[in-house]
Amino acid sequence: MTKRKKKGQGPTPVLVADGLMKAYGEVEALAALDLEVAPGESVVLVGHNGSGKTTFLRLVAGLLDPTEGDIEIDGAPAGSLEARAAASFLPDEPVLYDDLSVREHIDYLGRLHGTEGYGDAEAELVERLGLADRVDDLPARFSRGLRQKTSLALGLARPFDLLLIDEPFVGLDLSGRSALIELLHERHAAGAALLVATHDPSYVERAERCIALRQGEVIFDGAAAAADVLALVS
Amino acid sequence: MTVAPADSIAALGNLRAARRKRRVAKIHWVDALYQVYLAAIFGGGAVLFLSGITSGPRLDQAGIDQVLAEGPALLGVVVAAAVALGLRSGARGGPIALEAPDVRHVLLAPVPRAAALRGPAVRQLRFMMFLAVVVGAIVGQLAVRRLGGSPVAWIACGALFAVATVALGLGCAFLASGRRLPHWVATAIGGALLAWAATDVFELVPASPTAYLGELAFWPIDFDPAAIAPLVIAVVVLVLGLASIGGVSLEAADRRTQLVGQLKFAATLQDLRTVIVLRRQLAMELPRLKPWVRERHHGRFPIWHRGVRGILRWPAARVARVVIVSAIAGLALRGVWEGTTALVVVAGLAMFIAGLDAIEPLAQETDHPGRRDALPLSTGHVMVRHLPVAAVVMVGVGLVAGATAVLMDPSVAGVKLAAICLLPLAWAGGAGAVISVLMGAPSPSDNWQLLPPEVQGSRTAFRTVWPPLIATLGAVPVALARIALENDGNPYDIALASGVVVLVIVGLVAAWVHQRELIKEWWRSVQGMQGMSTAATSGTSAADADRGSPPANRSAAAGRPAGKKPAPRKVKTRLERS
Repeated sequence: MTKRKKKGQGPTPVLVADGLMKAYGEVEALAALDLEVAPGESVVLVGHNGSGKTTFLRLVAGLLDPTEGDIEIDGAPAGSLEARAAASFLPDEPVLYDDLSVREHIDYLGRLHGTEGYGDAEAELVERLGLADRVDDLPARFSRGLRQKTSLALGLARPFDLLLIDEPFVGLDLSGRSALIELLHERHAAGAALLVATHDPSYVERAERCIALRQGEVIFDGAAAAADVLALVS
Repeated sequence: MTVAPADSIAALGNLRAARRKRRVAKIHWVDALYQVYLAAIFGGGAVLFLSGITSGPRLDQAGIDQVLAEGPALLGVVVAAAVALGLRSGARGGPIALEAPDVRHVLLAPVPRAAALRGPAVRQLRFMMFLAVVVGAIVGQLAVRRLGGSPVAWIACGALFAVATVALGLGCAFLASGRRLPHWVATAIGGALLAWAATDVFELVPASPTAYLGELAFWPIDFDPAAIAPLVIAVVVLVLGLASIGGVSLEAADRRTQLVGQLKFAATLQDLRTVIVLRRQLAMELPRLKPWVRERHHGRFPIWHRGVRGILRWPAARVARVVIVSAIAGLALRGVWEGTTALVVVAGLAMFIAGLDAIEPLAQETDHPGRRDALPLSTGHVMVRHLPVAAVVMVGVGLVAGATAVLMDPSVAGVKLAAICLLPLAWAGGAGAVISVLMGAPSPSDNWQLLPPEVQGSRTAFRTVWPPLIATLGAVPVALARIALENDGNPYDIALASGVVVLVIVGLVAAWVHQRELIKEWWRSVQGMQGMSTAATSGTSAADADRGSPPANRSAAAGRPAGKKPAPRKVKTRLERS
C-alpha cells in the first residue's frame, strides 16, 4: 500500500525530510523518514494518537531537535532564519500572551515577520474567523474555541510558503470550521504548501496527498479518499 | 520569503518595553511596599542570624593562618557548585526561563535568536549580579570583625568574589545552553569539578582551579595575584556564553518554559513533592520501559508488588543519584565520627533526599487522592502497606552509606558501629521523607492563613524543618557514640540505646501514617465543635456553623461520638459477599 514520491521529481521542494528520526530515550516517536513536499502542495497527515504526526510537525517547525536526519525548508535547514520566515506553525494547543489583545498579538507577530502590523487584510481575516467583536479583548479570557481562532489568525496573518497545522478543527464551531477551510483553500490557491495533521476524514478529500503514519512509520503516501483514510487509521 | 532582522529586532524591543511598562504600571504601591517590608524582615533576620553565628573575638595570627590555609578551598567548593549548577541548567535549556509564547512565536519568527534572547539574559544577569553584590558585601562585612583589616576592602572583595562566582556560573550555563552540551557531559564536568573542589578541602588532591578564585575573597589580608587569572576566566566565560545564547535548543527551552513557572510556584508554596515531580520532568527522568529485573506476582500483597515494580523501573540516573547521595551521607557520618558533629545535618539531609526517592510509590498515592480514595480500602491501610518497600530500599541506602563511612578507614569497630546505626539512620531518613510528602503543601483554606505573615512564616519554617529534622535524628547515634568514646564510655551501648529511641520514633511515624486520616477527622471535629459553640454564643444558628465545616460532622451524622470511627476494613462488593 505504501507509495512514496521519488526524490528529484518536479520543482524544488518546499520541505525535504532526509532520514528524519526522533526518539525519546527508548521510545521511537518517529522512525527514519524520507519525505518531500512540493511548493503549493496540499498534504494531510493522518494516523492514530501517538503515531508521530505532532512530532513530525514540531520537528519541521524547529521546536524539536531530530535524533537523526535533516530537514530543509525552502532549501534552508529547519530552525534557520530563512526556514522560520518560510514556515508558519499552528500548534494543537494555542499558546498566547496573557497581556496582549488579539489586535496586539497580530500587530506584534506581524511586525516580527516584517509586515506592517495590523492592517486591512488582518482586520478582514479576523472578521472571517468571527473575532471582529473581540479584537480588543484578551485571549487569556477566551474560551478554547476563541483561543484556537486567535491562534489561527496569528498563523495565517503572517507571510509563509509552508503552513504546518496540527489538529486545526479541534474546538471550532461550524462557522469557524467553514471559514478555516475556505482560508486554507485560498492560501493554497495563492501558492502556499499546506501540511495539515488531522483526525477529520472529511478534510482528507480536499488535500492532494495523504500521508498516513502508524507507530512513527509512513504506511501510506498518495492520493486518498475518506474511506481509504478510515481504513488506514482504524 | 524576505527577512528583515533589523525591523524585527526593533519591533521586539518596542513591544517588550511596552509590556514591561504596562506591567510596572499595574503594580500597586501598597503591594510594592509590602514586598519591601517582607524583604527587609527576612533579609534583616538572615543578616542577624549570620552575624550571631560568626560573632566572637578577633582571631589571633594562628587562627588567621588557618583560615587562609582552608578558606580558599572551601570557597572553591561554592564556586564549583555554581559552575556545576550552571552547566546542568544550561544543558536543560536554562538558565533563562522564557514565557511559552516567546518560545512559540518570537523564537520561531525570523528574528536572530541571539538578539531575541540577549534582553532576558542581561536582565537575569543584572538581577543575579545585584544579589551577588549584596550577599558578598554582607559576608565581607561580617568577616572583617573576626579577621581584621580594612572594612572597605573586605566588602569590596566579598562583592567581587560573589560577582565572579555568579559570572562563572551563569557564563557556564549560557555556554552549555548555546552549545547544546549533552546532559551527561554537563553532569560529568560539573560533578568532576565539584568532587575535585571537595577533596581539595581535605588536601587529598592538588589545589582545585576553583580554589584560586576563593583566594580573591581573602585579598584584604593576603593579596595573591593568582586570583586574577580565574577572575579573567570568569569574565571571558560570561562573554562567550552571552555570545552563544542564540544556539539554544528550542526543544529544551520549550520544556523548561512549561515547567519552570510551575516549579517556582510549587517552591513558593513549599510543595516539595510537586517540585520533585516537575524537576524529574525537566530532567526527562522517565521510568524504564523494561524493569531491571522482571518481578513475578502471585496475587498476594498487591501494594507491595506495585511498589517493587515501581522501584525496579527506576532510571539509571535516579539509581546513580541515590547511590551518590548515600555515599555523601556516609562521608558526612565519617566526618561526625572524626569530630565534626555539625555534619549530622548533612548526613540527615542526604538520607532525607534519598528517602524522597525511596517512598516514590507512596508519594504517587498522595499525588492521585481520587484514585486512592476510589479503592474499597481505608487510606491508612493503603499507605502503611507502601512502607515496607521504602524500608527495604532505605536499608540499601543505609548499606551504601555505612560502607562508604567504613571504607574511609576500615576497622572492625567501624563495621560494628555501622551495623548498629544502619537501621536508625536508614529508616529515620525514610520517615522524614514520608512526613514531608504526606503533609504536602499548606492548604490555602487553612485557618492559619488569616494570621499575620510573621506567624505564618514561623509555622511554615516549622513545617519545612520538621521532616529533615526527623531524618537528622537518624545520624545522632553516631555523634553520641563518638562523644561516649571521648568520655571513656562504651560507644556501642550509647549507639544502640539512642538507635532504639530513633526506631521508636520511626514506629510512631508509621503509626501516624496508618491513623493519619482518623487524627485529621478528629481534629476537624474538634474545630467543628468549637465553631458551633462560637456560633451559638454569637447567635448564629448551628446549621450555619455546620455548613461552614462539613467534614467535621460526618461522625455526628453517622451517630458516632466525635473523633471515633469504626476500624478501617475492606468493604466487600455484593459479588464478593455472595
